[in-house]
Amino acid sequence: MTAVTDHMTVPGAAPQRKTPKGTFDIVFRNASFLSALFVLVLLAGIMLSMVIGGWPAFREMGIGFITSSVWDTQNDQYGAWPAIVGTLSTAFLALVIGVPLSLGIAVYLTQLAPPWFKQPVSTAIELLAAVPSIIYGMWGLFVFVPLFAAYVQIPLSNIVEGLPIVGTVLYSRSPSGLGILTAGIILAFMIIPFIASITRDMLDQIPSVLRESAYGIGATTWEVVRHVLVPQAGVSIIGAIMLGLGRALGETMAVTFVVGNANRLSASIMDPGSTIASRIANEFNEAMGLQLNALIALGCILFFVTFVVLVIARILVSRVKAY
Amino acid sequence: MLSTLELSPQSLDADAPVRIAVKNLDFYYGEHKALKNINLDFRDRHVTALIGPSGCGKSTLLRIFNRIYSLYPEQKATGEVLLDGRNVISNDIDVNELRSRIGMVFQKPTPFPMSIYDNVAFGIRLYEKPPKSELDDRIEGALRRAALWDEVKDKLKASGMGLSGGQQQRLCIARTIAQKPEVILFDEPTSALDPISTGKIEDLLEQLKTDFTIVIVTHNMQQAARISQYTAFMYLGEVIEFAATNTIFMNPSKKQTQDYVTGRFG
Repeated sequence: MTAVTDHMTVPGAAPQRKTPKGTFDIVFRNASFLSALFVLVLLAGIMLSMVIGGWPAFREMGIGFITSSVWDTQNDQYGAWPAIVGTLSTAFLALVIGVPLSLGIAVYLTQLAPPWFKQPVSTAIELLAAVPSIIYGMWGLFVFVPLFAAYVQIPLSNIVEGLPIVGTVLYSRSPSGLGILTAGIILAFMIIPFIASITRDMLDQIPSVLRESAYGIGATTWEVVRHVLVPQAGVSIIGAIMLGLGRALGETMAVTFVVGNANRLSASIMDPGSTIASRIANEFNEAMGLQLNALIALGCILFFVTFVVLVIARILVSRVKAY
Repeated sequence: MLSTLELSPQSLDADAPVRIAVKNLDFYYGEHKALKNINLDFRDRHVTALIGPSGCGKSTLLRIFNRIYSLYPEQKATGEVLLDGRNVISNDIDVNELRSRIGMVFQKPTPFPMSIYDNVAFGIRLYEKPPKSELDDRIEGALRRAALWDEVKDKLKASGMGLSGGQQQRLCIARTIAQKPEVILFDEPTSALDPISTGKIEDLLEQLKTDFTIVIVTHNMQQAARISQYTAFMYLGEVIEFAATNTIFMNPSKKQTQDYVTGRFG
């Protein structure tokens, strides 16, 4: 032991640093810098080409491109309003349906489920998250849509017909099963695995002693979850919801299958509509001239909407953290 | 070793009624039998310490009294734990009501993600809806008893998570006593704290025993000697010896107890 220490302290015994090593380090540092820079270049490139590609449409239509509901390829008149509303309303419906279910799944799995039930459900959630969106779209169109038309739209329309407000919002003029609500439901199915599995992981990470001490004071399961566990995991749950919202806003294939692809705006969530992504997917193949510019401009708007959602998420997260 | 222990000066009242009586208690983690035929009496408004090496079952025993073990389906207890004559491990007990009568302070501070005020109000609000002024008074009273009031009175709306570890633990004690339980269980309450915070908590326990029956699990034998009137020494899931603290530390009747309290094993 002493011998080793002595050896270490002999002056000049430290190995000489070889120059090739130094060069390698410089290359390595620059390479990692370039990798990081690549992200910025990529983002700037996409943004720039979207803005340049969409610019003619913004120039021709002005603010009307956002506010107008006309989408007339014959006369080159383009308005994005129905698609914007469709995007926001399907995503909103997806959250309204998906978030409570996801939280329910996560709470049950982490707090209440017996082990023999917990494992299969957890695995099923992981598998659902891995299902490609085209499968959700096909299943939605061929299986869910006919059932939804027969057992929800038709009976519900008969009930609400003529009533104020619900008679408008829930009435389907052509009960085909396709529509904004159908798209919202399919989107909810698609975002549930994400929100549920992230929330489950976050709840699992809460130290069991906190949970025990909340139960230990005499709180019921609901009180423990509502007042202690969910606030404790609050930031992460908001993050999970925003991730789901991001997916719902941009989801293309599944929505295109079931949303009905109508260019008009309807006050009923049972009626067909369209989203920005579904509109682009439907028309991109044959688009040319100003129509192509209009589609790129739509993409620009979607980009902007998702960006705003991200910013709001950040603000919410920092506000919860500050507490 | 023995001479360095400061023993609790207070005399114990041998006529004090029994608050919790444990009779023929067995406990299982799945197939594993963790407690074997425990028989103990916990006297009203006395501090009883449970000591013993890690894994001897002292925390397990504590977690039976307020049925925390029921959160885990694979754990089960058989026998009797009588709180004022009612068996708390029987199935027809309302566990939430039981837990409001038997408070528990854990090894690590567990402030809830809410303000200091709401932390203390949490337990009260579960069972009562006192008017605001009364609630304020009770919260101030609980924080004063937990020796925390002067440190937090100007920031009651601030998050409980922002306090230091020792303050958080006193906040948890305030939260527990605000609910006016009859019994308070302490599961190594100072093991995560520095010596100064530990001293404050020990002073606090001294004060609390005038109103509450206290059971404390501790690894620290000096602590057990300083604050308790009765001590149970446990080993491998059994109670080896249970007697007045002075007896356990000065004149134990079993050799194992003698070896443990003098630091020869454990």
